[in-house]
Amino acid sequence: MTENLYINNTKEVYDAIVIGSGISGGWAAKEFCERGLKTLMIERGRVVEHRKDYIGENKAPWQQPLRTKVDNLLVKEQHQIQQQCYAFTDATKHFFGNDKDLPYTTEKGTNFTWIRANQLGGKSLLWHRQSYRLGEYDFNANKSDGFGNDWPIRSQDIEKWYSHVEKHAGISGSLDNLENLPDGEFLPPFEMNSPEKALQAKFAELYPQRPLIMGRTAHLTKPTKLHLSQGRVKCQARNECHAGCSFGGYFSTQSSTLPAAAATNNLHIAPNSVVHSLIYDEKTNRVKGVRVIDNDDLTEREYFAKVVFVCASTIGSTQILMNSTSKKFPNGIANSSGVLGHYLMDHNYNAGASGDIEGFEDEIDRGRRPTGLMMPNFYYKPDASRNFLRGYALAGSAYREGWQSLQHQDGLGADYKNKLKQAGKWRFGLYAQGEMLPRFENQMRFHPTLKDKWGMPQIEFDCQFSDNETNMMIDAAQQAEKMLKAVGLKNVSSQVMNGPPGLAIHELGTARMGRDPKNSILNAYNQSHDIPNLFVTDGASFCSSAVQNPSLTFMALTVRAVDYCVKEMNAKRI
Amino acid sequence: MKEHYNEEPYIEVSCIEESNMANESRRKFLRGLSFLVGGTVATALVSGNSLAVAMEHSLKPVIVGSDLLSDGKIFPLSQLKQLKDICAIVIPKTDTLGAAEVNTHGFIDNQLFHCYGKAKQTKIKQLLILINDVAKKNFSRSFTELSQDQQFKLLTELDQGKANFDKKQRADFKALKQLICFGYYTSEVGASQELRYLAVPGGYKGSIPYKGSDANWGSQGLYY
Ligand SMILES: Cc1cc2nc3c(=O)[nH]c(=O)nc-3n(C[C@H](O)[C@H](O)[C@H](O)COP(=O)(O)OP(=O)(O)OC[C@H]3O[C@@H](n4cnc5c(N)ncnc54)[C@H](O)[C@@H]3O)c2cc1C
Repeated sequence: MTENLYINNTKEVYDAIVIGSGISGGWAAKEFCERGLKTLMIERGRVVEHRKDYIGENKAPWQQPLRTKVDNLLVKEQHQIQQQCYAFTDATKHFFGNDKDLPYTTEKGTNFTWIRANQLGGKSLLWHRQSYRLGEYDFNANKSDGFGNDWPIRSQDIEKWYSHVEKHAGISGSLDNLENLPDGEFLPPFEMNSPEKALQAKFAELYPQRPLIMGRTAHLTKPTKLHLSQGRVKCQARNECHAGCSFGGYFSTQSSTLPAAAATNNLHIAPNSVVHSLIYDEKTNRVKGVRVIDNDDLTEREYFAKVVFVCASTIGSTQILMNSTSKKFPNGIANSSGVLGHYLMDHNYNAGASGDIEGFEDEIDRGRRPTGLMMPNFYYKPDASRNFLRGYALAGSAYREGWQSLQHQDGLGADYKNKLKQAGKWRFGLYAQGEMLPRFENQMRFHPTLKDKWGMPQIEFDCQFSDNETNMMIDAAQQAEKMLKAVGLKNVSSQVMNGPPGLAIHELGTARMGRDPKNSILNAYNQSHDIPNLFVTDGASFCSSAVQNPSLTFMALTVRAVDYCVKEMNAKRI
Repeated sequence: MKEHYNEEPYIEVSCIEESNMANESRRKFLRGLSFLVGGTVATALVSGNSLAVAMEHSLKPVIVGSDLLSDGKIFPLSQLKQLKDICAIVIPKTDTLGAAEVNTHGFIDNQLFHCYGKAKQTKIKQLLILINDVAKKNFSRSFTELSQDQQFKLLTELDQGKANFDKKQRADFKALKQLICFGYYTSEVGASQELRYLAVPGGYKGSIPYKGSDANWGSQGLYY
C-alpha cells in the first residue's frame, strides 16, 4: 500500500485526477492505478475507513439511544432534506450530508429532493445495490420517439465493460434471458420464499411477457477467490447495509474498488478537499488541474494532472463544470453547446399496489434478504396506443406481517401480546420505478447571488415530472392492481402518489453524451467534446434515464472511459 | 435456476439467538470465517467494529426504573406511574417480561421528548388526563388506584371506543398503543426473548417450518 495514502499539499503533477470517491470515482481510480498511472483521488468529505468507521453497524435497536430514530433537534438543524430518505436512521445518519452546510433552492412551484453523501465512498456506502444493465431498446429510446438526443453508444459498446465491473463488484442474480434486460456475470441469486415462487409461476402462466425475477444486487451470495482475497466474505443477510458492512458483503468503494486501487501503490487521496473549479489553460486547450477549498479551514490549494475525471455525482460534477468559467467558456467549462445543466432526470416511484396472500401459514423465511423481486419493464417496445412514452419496472417482495401491522387491532393483555408474537399473514406488493423523459426545461442552474460556505454558487433546481410521468404512474397503479388480483391476492389496493423528483436518488443528465458537439457535452467515451483531457463519467453523462437503477452503468461507462483515455494518452492524442 | 446455497460451508453466526451459546458460536464463527478467508483475515475481521459488537451482545434483560422516583422529560411522576400501569395492562408479564418491567413508560417519555412534536406530546398527555378523569367519575379513584381488572375494563372500553369514549379518543389510544409496542418490541426483552433475534443470520433461507405458536422474528435490520 502507498506509504502515505492520504495527502494534503503536493506539487506533484499526477497522471490522472479523479474528483469524487463514490461509485464512479472509485472505479476510475482503480482502473487508472491498475494501468500504472499515478492517480490522485480528490474527495470533499472526511475519510471513512472500512469497518473502523461504520459506527452504526450491528447495533440492536435497544443499543441505540432512540431505538433507530433520530433526534428532532438534529434533524431540524442538519438533516431537514436528508431525513426524507428511507435509509436515514440513527445507524446511518452520519453518512448523509449536512443540509445546513449544503443549501440549495428550487424554482417557485417546483420541488427537488437532493440526497447527498459527502465522504470517502460517497453514496456507495448508502446505496441499495440494485444493479441492472441497460438494454438495446433503452439505448434506442431517444432516437425512436425523438425525446432527448440519441445515445452515442449501443449495448455492444458497453457489454464487455459491464462484465468487467460485475466480476469485480460481485453481482448476484439469475440468468433470465430477457430481450431488454441483458444477463450479466452473476453470482447465484438470492432465494425466493415459497409465496414468491408460487407468484412467479402464476405470473409465468398468466403474463408470459411479464416475468417476475429475483432482484439483481451487488451482494456476495457466493464470493469468488478474488472477493475472498480482498477480505470480502459472503453476505450475511442482515439487511443493515446502509450502516456499512464489515463483511464486505456488498459492493462499496471501501470494500471493493479502493483496496484494489491502493494495492497498486499508485494512489493518493486528498480528503476534505472541496473542488471549487477546474484550472483551464486556454493556450493548450487543456485542463491543468483543480482549485480546491479545504473542507474545514476554507483555505485554498491546487492539484495538477495530465487528465481530469469528474466523478462527483451527477449534480456535483455539473456544479464544478458550471463554476469553471474562463474567457472561452463564460457559461461553464466544456459548455460550448449550452446544454450544461439541462435534461436533468430522476426516476419516478409514485405508484404501487399491494394485497394479502392466502396460505403458506406453516412456513416463514429466515434471515433478511437485502433485495426484493423485480418485474422488468414490459413496455420497452414503443407503442402509440398508450397515453405515455417509455415504461416502468415493478419491484416488491413477499413477507409475513409482524407487530408493526398487527398492533393496530383491538385488544389488550396476554391475548394481545400473544397475537403480536406470532407471524401474521403473508403480503406482497408491486411498486413502480418509472422512466422520466429528458426535457430541456428540467434543469439545475446557479442561483444568481447565494453561495455556500466554500464560496460555491448555490444550485437552483427547476425540475418537474410532466404529464407523461403522471400518466405512466396511473397506468402502473392500474396494471399492478389488476395483475395482483389476477394472480389471486386478496384485499388488493393501489395508490398513485405525488412525490417530487430527486427522492429516487437516481439523478441523471445535465452533461449529456452525444454525437453532436452542438447539442451535447461529452462524446461516446465520456470525453468532453471541447477539451480532450476532461472526462465526466457519472450519471451526468446519461442521455435518457431508462428504468433501471443506474449505478452499474456508471461503473461500466467509467471503466470504458479510463481504458479509452489511457490509450489516447499512450497515442499522445491527450 | 439451481440453488447454490448448500454448496458452501454455512457460516453459523446465529449465536445471538441463545445467550449461553455466545462463546461457542463465536468459535464456530471464527472457524467458518477462517475457512473462507484464512485465519489472519478472519481475526482481523472479527476485531473490526461490527463483529466485535456483534459478539458482545449479551442477553441479560435491562430493567430500569422499577421504582419511579422523579418527573420525566414530558410527564410528571404521577403520569409516569399511570403510564406504567397502562403499559402493564397492554403488554403484561407472561412467560416473558412485559412492557412495564422493561420501562416502556420511561422509553415513551424520552422518545416523545426527542422524536415527536408538541402536538403529539399534548395529545398523549391529554389522553392520560382523560383516562384518569373517567376513572374518578366511574370509581371515585384515580387510575393507578384501580384494581387491575378495573383498569383492564376501562382501557378495553377506550380501545373499542365504547361507553365513556368516542372515536377520536379511541384513535388517540391506538397512537399510545403504538408507542408502547414500539418501545416493547425494540427493547432487548421484546425483540430477543418475546420474539426471536438474529443479529447475523448468515444467509437467507426462503422457507423454514413455522407453527402458530412460534415467535416471529424480532430482528428487522435497520427498519423498525
Ligand atoms: C439510499 C440510496 C439507495 C440507492 N439505491 C440504489 C440502487 O439500488 N441502485 C443504484 O444503481 N443506485 C442506487 N442509489 C444511487 C447511487 O448511490 C448513486 O447513483 C451512486 O452512488 C452515484 O455514484 P457517483 O460516484 O456518481 O456519486 P456518489 O456516490 O454520490 O459520489 C460522489 C462523491 O463525490 C464527492 N464530491 C461531490 N462534489 C465534490 C466536489 N466539489 N469536490 C470534491 N468531491 C466532491 C462526494 O462527496 C462523493 O463522495 C441509491 C442511493 C441512495 C442514497
